[in-house]
Amino acid sequence: MRIRRVFVALTVAVVVSILFLSIYQTGQHENILRVTTTTSLYNTGLLDKLAEEFKQMHPDVSVQFIAIGSGEALRRAAQGDADMVLSHAPNLEKRYLDDGTLKPGKIFAYNYFIIVGPSDDPANVTGMSPIEAMAAIYTAGERGRAIFVSRADNSGTHNRELMLWSLASVNPSGKTWYLELGADMALTLMVANEKKAYTLSDVGTYLKFSDKLGELKPLVERGDALINIYSVYVVNPVKVPGVNEKLAEVFMRFITSEEGQKIIENYGIDEFGKPLFNAARGDPTGELKNVWESMAKLG
Amino acid sequence: MWQEVAEVVARSLLISGTATMLAAFWSIPVAMILTAKESEFRRVLLDLTNTLVAIPTVLVGLVLYLLLSRSGPLGFLGILYTPTSIVIGEAVLITPLIVSLSASVLRETRAGIWEMAVSIGATERQALVTMVTESLPRLMSVILIGFNRAIGELGVALMLGGNIKGLTRVMTTAIALEVSKGEFEFALALGGVLLFVTFLVTAIVRKVGKTA
Repeated sequence: MRIRRVFVALTVAVVVSILFLSIYQTGQHENILRVTTTTSLYNTGLLDKLAEEFKQMHPDVSVQFIAIGSGEALRRAAQGDADMVLSHAPNLEKRYLDDGTLKPGKIFAYNYFIIVGPSDDPANVTGMSPIEAMAAIYTAGERGRAIFVSRADNSGTHNRELMLWSLASVNPSGKTWYLELGADMALTLMVANEKKAYTLSDVGTYLKFSDKLGELKPLVERGDALINIYSVYVVNPVKVPGVNEKLAEVFMRFITSEEGQKIIENYGIDEFGKPLFNAARGDPTGELKNVWESMAKLG
Repeated sequence: MWQEVAEVVARSLLISGTATMLAAFWSIPVAMILTAKESEFRRVLLDLTNTLVAIPTVLVGLVLYLLLSRSGPLGFLGILYTPTSIVIGEAVLITPLIVSLSASVLRETRAGIWEMAVSIGATERQALVTMVTESLPRLMSVILIGFNRAIGELGVALMLGGNIKGLTRVMTTAIALEVSKGEFEFALALGGVLLFVTFLVTAIVRKVGKTA
């Protein structure tokens, strides 16, 4: 009978493909290290490069990156779905450190956030300190002369933007010139370009996109308040059972080793003519740690 | 690079194909039950199914993520961030679609065929078999629509698969990644490949369906 034949064929097909999938997966089941990471690191290609080098020393290990915003990356680790987190949101990290989800981590790299805006700079922020610049954008916004586009997605960059507003003692929330997108950095930059608006960006994403951002220019690029600190954390197996702690620590040692740090500080030179990240090199002066602490407190 | 693209295409086909078969496996019997008799209860169930066709993919992804997460009730299975989890997610996602469309196909055939079959003396069972047999070609198109929805969706694959290179990266998550990296041209090319592959599958299934 025709129906029965179709039914049998369907059953066989389902069973075969499920078998195939489970074989395909078990091949990868040994020594998996799962890392949730901020997209701003992953999208530059740096992490794939680090994993590639790591694999040469540890061929039996599969390092899997799940690239999401820092907020989601930390939350997923707390849910038990990652062994390690790479993040750049001190205030959020502090929360997960305090409740014991994360073991004390290491700062492994840093660079600077940049305030970008329209080339004619209607708020006149060029040359200002980051906090003065935010205040100037606020004033210009209130006078109808400037627009600011916000990520509004609880990412590390978004958290930093909120911190800058509060350091400037202003609150743009709800203003008509303040557009909250809920989007990733790429889309946010594209919108800022279309609207000739100001926004805060990580430097890696901005450089990748700069050829598509004809209306925009980096206006404020330096200042302590713009230091962008990347930290690595191993998830605490006492609080979150099932964490592959050993492997996570091996990978953390690699990232912070001389070899790993060399890869980090040279990454991007081929493509952009300058490196995208500075290696933390154990933060010998403790300055990065200090900045991290003061930011964690502000959150 | 194109070898990686080929891998991603093959993975997408395998994952979405399995998901579609799985969904068809339970959806069509459900559609048969829902249309076997007219009753207020079944009509409400069908309304509900039609509503669920509109469910956002990322919501399906989130609900299943919380179930499959290591701290969730099904966490012990350890299938989050594997192709299997995407298969399950896509199967769940397209179930309402296949049930809803199959039900409307079956209901139409029923109006024409059931009464005739019964009037010429067929038993209820025989009438049912005739009805489904007559509907097969159109049910096949329904399943294809389900497949196309599965292979083109992003939310479930991103949330449950995690877009892991070499393991759970499928066409749609690869396109999203290239967009966020600023590689618009490559993303467009991948989009073209996705549509072309989907077109091929549609054409092949239609051809095979005709000869069978």
